[in-house]
Amino acid sequence: MPYEPLLLRNAGKPGSETIDAYLASGGYQGLRRVLKESTPEKMVEEVKASGLRGRGGAGFATGVKWGFLPKTRDKPRYLCINADESEPGTFKDRLLIEKDPHLVLEGIILSAYAIECRTAFFYIRGEFHQGCRVFQRAVDEAYAKGFLGKNILGSGYDLDLVLYRGAGAYICGEETALLESLEGKRGLPRIKPPFPAIVGLYGCPTIINNVETLANVTLIAERGAAWYATIGRPPKNTGPKLYCLSGHVKRPGVYEAPLGVPLMELIEERAGGLLRPDRPLKAVVPGGSSMRILPASKCDVLMDFDSLVAAGSMLGSAAVIVMDAGTCMVWALLSLARFYAHESCGQCTPCREGTGWFVKILERLEAGQGRPEDVDLLTDVANKVEGNTICPFGEAIAWPVQSYVKTFREEYEEHVRRKGCPLAATATVS
Amino acid sequence: MAEPKEPQQPPSPPPGPALPAAGPDDVSLLIDDRPVVVRKGTTVLQAAEQAGLLVPHYCYHAGLSIAGNCRMCLVEIEKAPKLQIGCATAAAQGMVVRTQTARVKSTREAIMEFLLINHPLDCPICDQAGECRLQQYEAAYGAGRSRFNEEKVHFPKRYDIGRNVVFDAERCIKCTRCVRFCDEVSKTHELALFDRGDHAIIGTFPGRPLDNPYSGNTVDICPVGALTWKPFRFRARVWFLRDVPSACAGCARGCSVNLATYNNRIHRITPRQNMQVNRFWICDAGRESHAPLSERPRLAGPRALAACKGGPQQEAAWEEALDRAAELLRETAKAHGSGALAGIVSARLSVEDLHLARKALSEAAGIPRLGVPPHVEGEDDHLLIRRDRTPNAKGAALAGPGAPHAGRVKEILEDVAAGRVRALVVVGEDPLGDGLIDAAALGRLDALIVIDWWKSPTAEAAHVALPSCGYGECEGVLVNFEGRAQRMRAALRPWAEAEPTWRILRELGRRFGLAGEYPTASAVFDEVAATVPAFAGLSHRALGGLGAVVKEA
Repeated sequence: MPYEPLLLRNAGKPGSETIDAYLASGGYQGLRRVLKESTPEKMVEEVKASGLRGRGGAGFATGVKWGFLPKTRDKPRYLCINADESEPGTFKDRLLIEKDPHLVLEGIILSAYAIECRTAFFYIRGEFHQGCRVFQRAVDEAYAKGFLGKNILGSGYDLDLVLYRGAGAYICGEETALLESLEGKRGLPRIKPPFPAIVGLYGCPTIINNVETLANVTLIAERGAAWYATIGRPPKNTGPKLYCLSGHVKRPGVYEAPLGVPLMELIEERAGGLLRPDRPLKAVVPGGSSMRILPASKCDVLMDFDSLVAAGSMLGSAAVIVMDAGTCMVWALLSLARFYAHESCGQCTPCREGTGWFVKILERLEAGQGRPEDVDLLTDVANKVEGNTICPFGEAIAWPVQSYVKTFREEYEEHVRRKGCPLAATATVS
Repeated sequence: MAEPKEPQQPPSPPPGPALPAAGPDDVSLLIDDRPVVVRKGTTVLQAAEQAGLLVPHYCYHAGLSIAGNCRMCLVEIEKAPKLQIGCATAAAQGMVVRTQTARVKSTREAIMEFLLINHPLDCPICDQAGECRLQQYEAAYGAGRSRFNEEKVHFPKRYDIGRNVVFDAERCIKCTRCVRFCDEVSKTHELALFDRGDHAIIGTFPGRPLDNPYSGNTVDICPVGALTWKPFRFRARVWFLRDVPSACAGCARGCSVNLATYNNRIHRITPRQNMQVNRFWICDAGRESHAPLSERPRLAGPRALAACKGGPQQEAAWEEALDRAAELLRETAKAHGSGALAGIVSARLSVEDLHLARKALSEAAGIPRLGVPPHVEGEDDHLLIRRDRTPNAKGAALAGPGAPHAGRVKEILEDVAAGRVRALVVVGEDPLGDGLIDAAALGRLDALIVIDWWKSPTAEAAHVALPSCGYGECEGVLVNFEGRAQRMRAALRPWAEAEPTWRILRELGRRFGLAGEYPTASAVFDEVAATVPAFAGLSHRALGGLGAVVKEA
């Protein structure tokens, strides 16, 4: 049965980013219906019933998250949209923002309505120049057509949306660092609790949702939770999903499929298979660089939240990084470790000191100066970072280190024995 | 990166039999099997402290907001899957906390290793050695070894981050106590964390050095040797220092301080926690208030003019100088009547000094007028500094010759200039140096008796100059602007022949028939307590370390 794209239904068509094209394809009908017939409470229930889980990385149920807002109304509530997409291997939100911004915007308005928020903040990665331009135009169009601003579509509901560009820090994709950055401060994660739903932006109750999550809310409003909940692998892994394929595949890119699509189907059929016929699959990172790596032997897995946890990794941002037999696993981890060492905010001890330490050990291993004890040391340092940091950045580096070393231990030991990288001459990535 | 999970519903704790009962505003919990009852809102770290258990920490400071960044205070809390930081976790009813498990210990060991991998380990040349939390905690909680075989991260060293503060970025552990102090306490915002990862560094903004009236507190709260106080650098090893609890005499606040002494010198002054006075802080001026002791020329011994007039001052024995002073006063009174006698007494002196000034000068010697000059500078600030720079104005008003009063002093000095006052006793003041009177007018006096700790211009012009103890050399009580009486303590032996002011006044008074033993400052204070209602019930012992509030009518 061919899959009819839902999130990417407009993307790729000429002028897909304009409001006219969006309206012509039936856009904003869901918003019209909800504002006319529904209530915020019903909208929250609808999203709960859909089974929608956050597409940012943790896969937390969106409706349940909204339900954490305090019942009192003594402070304004804010919706922050996390468009700081920076996880290596991840480029799905960027596509939505650039190609179908109104699909996202409709979801934002619907979600803001559901949580009774009057001001929403769209925090977009600073490097997304094109995305910023496109999205700002979309916002302006929405204001002009009465989808934003005062008394939206005559419903009496007001919503303003502020577009805010980040300044280039991976950590600002962590939701509380995002809030700090939005408040004009250095992007340092906050201690939790209190959680943002209670004390968030400017001390007010705040919901932070990912771009793709909100695009899914548009679908739910259009065709109902019952329909939505049939997509994917109900009951716990429902809806369509964008998968970012990168690495050693013939056609890297963003592909849409229901949750629960087989990983090998994505690689073999959608992305055209491996790049070089002479190099078999070695490993896949299924959910963005922070998630544990799966060796080829474990790649016969379904791409959804629970299947990947069972396989020992996580769906994360669904960024599928494919590595073939030419990949050195020490080099690959070093490359990642350099990224995390550069992006660690420097606030808390284990992450600040640990990330730099990983780089130094891995550089020595790769340069042929490894010591036998380095292999266990990497794992032990990662174990001491994991769980002891202010924010999940600690896990984001600890999990790759632990899993790369555990899965490819022999390769690490070989680097020590042979005083250098056995694959250095043949590596395809450099 | 994975987003964090939202909070689960708080588990309903089973009320264990070991939990003590808690009032409506309290919670009871178990920490290492010890039952603890604390006020709601108390953190686990503070609750442990109340139970007498130290949860080691670097970034937590009771006077600052919670940063939670050092991770040293991670403890195990039943039902929480991860270790939790004690500094930011509120104690909850029925909570079961463990601070000594193998998991906690191995985590502390790991944090110590992380903190030290990029630390220069230059203890032998570090001023913080001996009072460094890295040293203390490595000894107590560390593994005593490192597995770090790499080149350390390098940073600027010996960097002048402010007027009196030197920064060594390699020693810094980025606890941000100093940053938070400047943001939250001094409210001057000079410091911030710059750059990221293991290149993160504390720094200032261009053209805005760390230069505020409270900058020295950043040095005190720095748990390591990253921030050092320039005047104290390489002066003394801290294990040789002896901290003497005292009160600052720099202004009417009277901050609780410690005078750190070694070799009969005060090497530094640091704040002593007193929540009723200065909390955890002192100003830089107070921190430097021992400097004049070594910078100004001291009066080594009593000095008296050789002849009645004209000749240079010469050293004299105490008895001789005191006799001479009494004789001068007596002669003047005889020649011009007691109305020709007056005194200037300082509100910087202690209650004991001022009490004996009243007993000896007013009552015994019959000096009818004693003036107390005010010393006012600038304005009260938002934190500690008072525009009234006399530390004992209230004490002078209650127990001594009266509150500082510029008009009365002016009147006296005008009478000196006009020749109506012929003999002047000046105790702890320098009207000539302060520009209240000129040398010619002072020169008209038949008798100028000065009791002071240094060779002030007024003391140099005296017929008899009597050396008193300087700050830190004698005992005494100060009453601050809020009416809190606190003890100044003797941290040093008096310089040369210097004597406490109250004892000099006692000896002078005896020459006019002053009765009473007054063997010690404490005994003088006991008389104040017995005779001045505001001080009723107080004694040196009763004042203790933190002082007590006098009873004002």
